[in-house]
Amino acid sequence: MVFNIQRHNLKWLLFIITICIISAVFFYNIHTPKPEETTIRLGLFAGSNWNVPSGESYAVIDTAIKNFENSHPGVKITYVSGIRKQDYAEWLAERILNGDEPDLFMVLADDFNLYSSMGILQNLDSMAENDSSFDTSAYYQAALDYGKYRRKQYALPFESMPTLMFVNKTLLAKENIPIPKDNWTWQDFLDICRRVTKDTDGDGTPDQFGYYDYTWQQAAASNGLQLFRNDGKFSYFADNKMNDTLKFMIELKKTNLGYTVTAKDFDMGKVAFRPFTFAEYRTYKPYPWRIKKYSSFEWDCIEMPSGPSGRNTSELDTLLIGMSSRSKHKRITWEFLKELCYSSETQKLLPSLSQGVPVIKAAVESNEAKQALLQDAPGEEKMNLSIISDVMQTAVSPPKFKKYSLAMLMADSEIKKIIDGTLPFNNALNKVQKQINDLLQN
Amino acid sequence: MHIKIYSITVMHYFLYIFNAIVVFFLAGFMSITQTKINISMSAHSFLSSISAPPFSASEIIIFSSCSFSILIFLSTFYRRCLLNQNNQRRYILLALEICACLIVMRSINMAYDGVILLVVADLVSGYRGKNQRIILTVAMLGLYLIASYNLIDLRLKMIPLDAYISYYDQPAQGILKAACNIFTSFNMIIFVIYMMLLVQNQHQEKERIQSLNEQLNTANEKLRNYAIEAERMAETRERNRLAREIHDTLGHALTSIIAGLDACLATIDAAPAFTKKQLQVISDTARNGINDVRRSVKKLRPDNLERLPLKDALYQMIREFSSASGMQIELQHECWPQNLREDEEEVIYRIVQESITNANRHGKAAHILITLTEENNWLKIIIKDDGTGCENPVKGFGLRHMQERLMLLHGALAYEGHGGFTIKAAIPLNRGDVYNDKNNDSG
Repeated sequence: MVFNIQRHNLKWLLFIITICIISAVFFYNIHTPKPEETTIRLGLFAGSNWNVPSGESYAVIDTAIKNFENSHPGVKITYVSGIRKQDYAEWLAERILNGDEPDLFMVLADDFNLYSSMGILQNLDSMAENDSSFDTSAYYQAALDYGKYRRKQYALPFESMPTLMFVNKTLLAKENIPIPKDNWTWQDFLDICRRVTKDTDGDGTPDQFGYYDYTWQQAAASNGLQLFRNDGKFSYFADNKMNDTLKFMIELKKTNLGYTVTAKDFDMGKVAFRPFTFAEYRTYKPYPWRIKKYSSFEWDCIEMPSGPSGRNTSELDTLLIGMSSRSKHKRITWEFLKELCYSSETQKLLPSLSQGVPVIKAAVESNEAKQALLQDAPGEEKMNLSIISDVMQTAVSPPKFKKYSLAMLMADSEIKKIIDGTLPFNNALNKVQKQINDLLQN
Repeated sequence: MHIKIYSITVMHYFLYIFNAIVVFFLAGFMSITQTKINISMSAHSFLSSISAPPFSASEIIIFSSCSFSILIFLSTFYRRCLLNQNNQRRYILLALEICACLIVMRSINMAYDGVILLVVADLVSGYRGKNQRIILTVAMLGLYLIASYNLIDLRLKMIPLDAYISYYDQPAQGILKAACNIFTSFNMIIFVIYMMLLVQNQHQEKERIQSLNEQLNTANEKLRNYAIEAERMAETRERNRLAREIHDTLGHALTSIIAGLDACLATIDAAPAFTKKQLQVISDTARNGINDVRRSVKKLRPDNLERLPLKDALYQMIREFSSASGMQIELQHECWPQNLREDEEEVIYRIVQESITNANRHGKAAHILITLTEENNWLKIIIKDDGTGCENPVKGFGLRHMQERLMLLHGALAYEGHGGFTIKAAIPLNRGDVYNDKNNDSG
């Protein structure tokens, strides 16, 4: 009796298992393209990563795709166009949840750590090591480091965005101050700010200022301060360098004589210095933006001032492209990733077709790049191109761990209170460090 | 007994079915929630709350249903191996079953560990003796350690069920959590009932074996008594036989001698010549008596039958008798009955021997035909001679003796005296099988 029941069930089970296997094979086939034509899907967002208006956002990518398809017959590269940057994170998350994320996709800075730790991004180390045509020393270190998670490379940089100090040449000339040299210091910065801040029209309030929008983060970076331990579990806010930075920021704030400088003051040519990203420079320098926004003064860019323990550096913002760990064509995808992020052909196009800076040293120093940059600069305003390369060389990559944004937000509000004088300076940094460490460790 | 086993089997299938329902419910819940998350544009916040890339909605369903089917298949196969006592295959199957169980749990993100009880149920029902206690303990411990999600959280990245549940609003969350708890508890209850039945079954099995053992002991005791009884009966029978022999030979001869001598005492004076003649007769009678005694003693001695198989003994006897008496004796048989017991062989031999002796002594026959046939499980022996025969044969000691021997075997005897003497004896052949236990049960 018992035996009979089991025999009967065994037949049923075999039948069910067969059906399961058949359906699995069927689904697998649906999701797998035919071998004759390999399709690599690409995940991109429209517009610029640097929050500046951008006309032809796919120009560089399209050229790279055309080149790659020509050199690799049988490979087709597709992408969905028109996804805005603000929708991109959700779009990519939906694809990942569906299990059909693109083989290659742009990784937003906020999502990089999440996707690396989840294992969605492919670890590229072994591919890079086994590829003799690939050499990491071609990259600017800070750009390459930005694609690392726990010392492993999970994405390659596509373009970078250094921060430069913009100088109102007209204002400095009026005050008879020479444009600072590239290795200028905090002290120089303070001196100039003190000299230019004055009341020119005699209405009793100052209407000419030294700086606008210079943050304590930028100061900390140029003072050689590492704010977080590499594993993101500990912070160094109580460091002496941070102490110096805060003292400097308080001094600097004093130069404004209690007046809150606005963006309008800068636009009207009343401010001597303002940190700007390269993208803003590239966007607003050429016609027609230049006329529209900053017509009243001449301006140029120099490196950031260096602190007593640091160099003339800034944090480098970088756009990353990563590979899906679930991609079915990893080899050919890696080739295309190199075409985008390593080939100097593609990278050389960035200065002319995009607002970013190439991440390959050779591409920045190439003649094409120089031509592209000079072309935009009107009249006698020749930009000193070596600045870009120098800034890229010395730049540091900001840390990326899950709680980074949150920790920085918290630290920012506390430190702003210290700079504004609402919190007493004594021992305040120790408290901040303790508070941030509590956040990081829980 | 059968009903008990049947209810265990039913309980076990119930365990399968319940787990199948829970696994498919959870897989369905996860895949539906994932689809809903995608539709409601909250994929990014969902991904931020988890630490591993989830399977896609269809993958969860396929993965869980395939692995669960494999688990059930292996479990069923394992249970069949238990019946076959195939140890090596059993261990392999058990290992595979544990793997399948882990895959099932992985496919539903370790949200439900009740499937472990399926494996534990198999482990326990396959539990045989002390040397397997270690395997049982290690396997159960390992499974539970793996199942306690926190232990392997760091190595195998799972998506906690709470991440899915937290997508829904507060009242629905409560219901879902309660449902999950009910699943786990209910599964536990089914498992405990199954275990109880299993233990009860094993207990009853033990009791049954114990009672069978007692029955066996009683039967053994009875058998021993029977053996003693049989021995005593054999003794009695032998004593009776001796009595018969003495009565047949010595008694008869002595009676004749006493009667003759009494007559001689009366006549010796009146007619000495006649008396002398009579004494001669008495002397003959005494001599015959001596011969009979010799024959009897010879009979007590081991003879042909004890040395040879029945068939050879019969031929030997016929050969000896015909050469001594000059009679022509023929033995015909279609087939020779197999598996005759010793007492049956003895009876057959004695009947033939007695009949031949009778034919020679009383019928003065020249030819004897002995036929052995087997018919409807009866062995028939017909001994036919061409002697003077006997119109109305009186049942002498010889014939009665034959009848008695046959009756002990539940056989029958018939004879007639027209145109020579014919003896027909029949012995039931299946009689001995009555005590065969195996056939008794089948019958």
